[in-house]
Amino acid sequence: MTDTTFNGATPDGNDKASLGSAWRWLLRHPPVVTFSLIVLVCLVVGAINTDFWQVSNLFDILRASVVRGLFALGVLVVLASGGIDVSFTAIAAFVMYTVTMLVTNLLPGLPMPVILLVAAAGGACFGALNGLLVHTLRAPSLIVTIGTQYVIRSFLLTFVGTALFMNIPGSMEAFGKLALFTHQSANGSISVLPAFVLVLAVAAVVTWWILERTLIGRAVYAVGGNAGIAERLGYNLRTVHIFVFAYAGLLAGIAGIMHVASNRLANPFDLAGTELEIIAAVVLGGARITGGSGSVIGTLLGVVLITLVSNVLILVGIPSTWQLAIIGVFIVLAGTVFSLRARS
Amino acid sequence: MQLKHETGAPPQGGETPKAALPYLEIRDVQKSFGGVRALKGVSLSIEPGQIYHLMGENGCGKSTLIKIISGAQPADSGELLIDGKPVGHLTPVAALAAGIETVYQDFSLLPNLSVAENVGLTQQVVAASGRLARRLDLTQMRATAERALAAVNLPTSRAFLATRTDELPMATRQLIAIARAIASDARLVIMDEPTTALTKHEVDNLIGIVGRLRAKGVAVLFVTHKLDECKEIGGRAVIMRDGQKVAECDIADHTKAELGFWMTGKVLDEARYRAQPKFGEGLLSVDGLSLKDAFANVSFSMRRGEIVGITGLLDSGRNELARAIAGVVPADAGRIRLDGKDVTPRKPADAIDAGIGYVPEDRLSEGLFLEKPIEENIVVPVLDRLRGAFGILDGRRSRDLAKRSVEDLQVVTPDVANPVQSLSGGNQQRVLIGRWLTINPKLLVLHGPTVGVDVGSKDTIYRIIQRLADEGMGVIIISDDLLELLQNCDRIMVMRKGEVVERFEAETLKEEALYRALVEETTARTAQ
Repeated sequence: MTDTTFNGATPDGNDKASLGSAWRWLLRHPPVVTFSLIVLVCLVVGAINTDFWQVSNLFDILRASVVRGLFALGVLVVLASGGIDVSFTAIAAFVMYTVTMLVTNLLPGLPMPVILLVAAAGGACFGALNGLLVHTLRAPSLIVTIGTQYVIRSFLLTFVGTALFMNIPGSMEAFGKLALFTHQSANGSISVLPAFVLVLAVAAVVTWWILERTLIGRAVYAVGGNAGIAERLGYNLRTVHIFVFAYAGLLAGIAGIMHVASNRLANPFDLAGTELEIIAAVVLGGARITGGSGSVIGTLLGVVLITLVSNVLILVGIPSTWQLAIIGVFIVLAGTVFSLRARS
Repeated sequence: MQLKHETGAPPQGGETPKAALPYLEIRDVQKSFGGVRALKGVSLSIEPGQIYHLMGENGCGKSTLIKIISGAQPADSGELLIDGKPVGHLTPVAALAAGIETVYQDFSLLPNLSVAENVGLTQQVVAASGRLARRLDLTQMRATAERALAAVNLPTSRAFLATRTDELPMATRQLIAIARAIASDARLVIMDEPTTALTKHEVDNLIGIVGRLRAKGVAVLFVTHKLDECKEIGGRAVIMRDGQKVAECDIADHTKAELGFWMTGKVLDEARYRAQPKFGEGLLSVDGLSLKDAFANVSFSMRRGEIVGITGLLDSGRNELARAIAGVVPADAGRIRLDGKDVTPRKPADAIDAGIGYVPEDRLSEGLFLEKPIEENIVVPVLDRLRGAFGILDGRRSRDLAKRSVEDLQVVTPDVANPVQSLSGGNQQRVLIGRWLTINPKLLVLHGPTVGVDVGSKDTIYRIIQRLADEGMGVIIISDDLLELLQNCDRIMVMRKGEVVERFEAETLKEEALYRALVEETTARTAQ
């Protein structure tokens, strides 16, 4: 835009045209909208309270993005295929509590990679079940996953346990404390960037690779674009349905373990009720709720935006009860912009 | 042979010399949906390098046959043989792997994927036999797409390859769908009404493509009802009626009238339904109606009792104009006056209040509540008028109204409480027309009034339209069925690229001239 304002000779029409094309470009690249909102929030908060510009704050936001980010990547894959999943928090709670309990009671020395593997496999099994139900019942995935969410949560609380686990296995505790980067600020306070943020980084790269560089990834978007046509063109709907839900379940299982490792306790009542917030983050990142679109980068930006709003507004004296309102306004705003894209 | 012609008995194939082994053989294929027998034992053999035209009316079973060949639906009984070997029933992937490519009427493009992906991906999915845990070969995908796009004379630039298909015009999408079909080593390309969205120039381009395919030994099966085009392309005609193959012959050996007779079982009646129109005073005037990117500066007026036809290709703006008049997608400039009063609708309710009834083109998605009773479908625009005591719907009056409407329009149903989906296409269409008649419209806008309707129902619907006009209603018919417009209208307007480019008096107009006006060759130039 600065170009056209500099160039005084530009006739009105051209100016309008470039504004129009800039707008269209923006609509085609929804993550830019998300990124702009992040910058806006940072500038406003940073201007009011300079404490915002601290390394420890950045670390906090990254740390708090890990579990949300893992969930969101799973939701992205399901949304891209035209479905929706609300059972992932229940899967995560079940897996984290059950795995923590089993490891503590039976195999206290189990190394972290094996724990992650077991959690991932457990989550994927639950997810595959979702996918199988969605496919064979031909039922809306929202309804199916609301159902499985209740069943899984009830099963957890009835048969596995309701008590808090304070003594988590040593390997998990160590993993949660492992530092990737330690920073000492001028006043001597030490802040730590935990190593488990790498789990999110790896998950993001893998998800990107699957979506953009494999046939199943393209099939996910194809089915999300129009399932009937995709089927005619030879894409196997059953494979896609089972894959997307299993993948979301797998990430949910890992997210559950990350949640335990970073909080150093396993609470079976945790994570419930955060589903909508995660779906909102993915939609804020430019994925359409009706399927067929969305990107990993946009999803990560959406997660950062949600985390930012819930973590830093307190710095500028905005009561935490107001955070929801701001997130709500952002969602409506982004929703409007992205639906303009659909209409144009 | 000659004798058969004279008696009018349709020939049953076996005329071509058996030069090559057939690529695909279909033997006695049957298929039923519920109680309806869509295919009653059809046999067909497809030879390499041959062109076939599968012809027949809507509902004759040709789409079902295509679905079975392309693997979209299994047959109930019968055999499919490829290269002489039985293949059981085909899945979509198996059909593609065997070299059967289909260009569907709806193009079947994935709207959210790029041109390159739409054209080049199928090949890799098929090569992996539908197993999807494979790496995507971007280079191969692009190369395949470029090659196929070049073959149909589309651009192959990076920017074009990366464009989403839902951002492209209809004709381009059609060509992309064709490019996808020839991207891999197809042996049979099925094209389901591929010329609907194309201009004359693009149709010529398509005929060139078909010639090249044929030279490579690829068989091409057109599904069509445009007799003129079939004759121009040449090849073999396979004619279906009522779930059976009634004739197979060399298309050049027979006249249009003969082919038409086999398709319909009736002598093609091209007589006009319109007789002695009586026009009243002025009813409608449309001034400078415009909608960005759809149509511009459309003006016309009509009198009571007049029937005006509007036609044009898919992207001519005719559909948008119809929706604008009905307030479904309002125009952004211009006026619509009814009886001298400005009624330019901003939303459908405005049009209804003003007395404009709109029967949409796609009655399944835009018009009818399929699972709901016929009665509810008919009375829905006049619910307020049927309010009884305490504002509760008066069930008896509602039922009476629906019954009257059903009788009036000769809807064949035992009970108005049956769901609309229990009716045939023609009867569904009459329910939809009946709905709008309940508001006693001054102007009725019919958008594709006989799409997917059989011949008998067409006749009934045309008679209803004529009767309504005789009673003083203004009727606008938007349609791409040229004969329909010629038979029913007083005047016909042709739209191209969003503008009304020709206006004809229907009575003296020839279909040929109307067709030329439709497909860009200006009649002015050819006539003079």
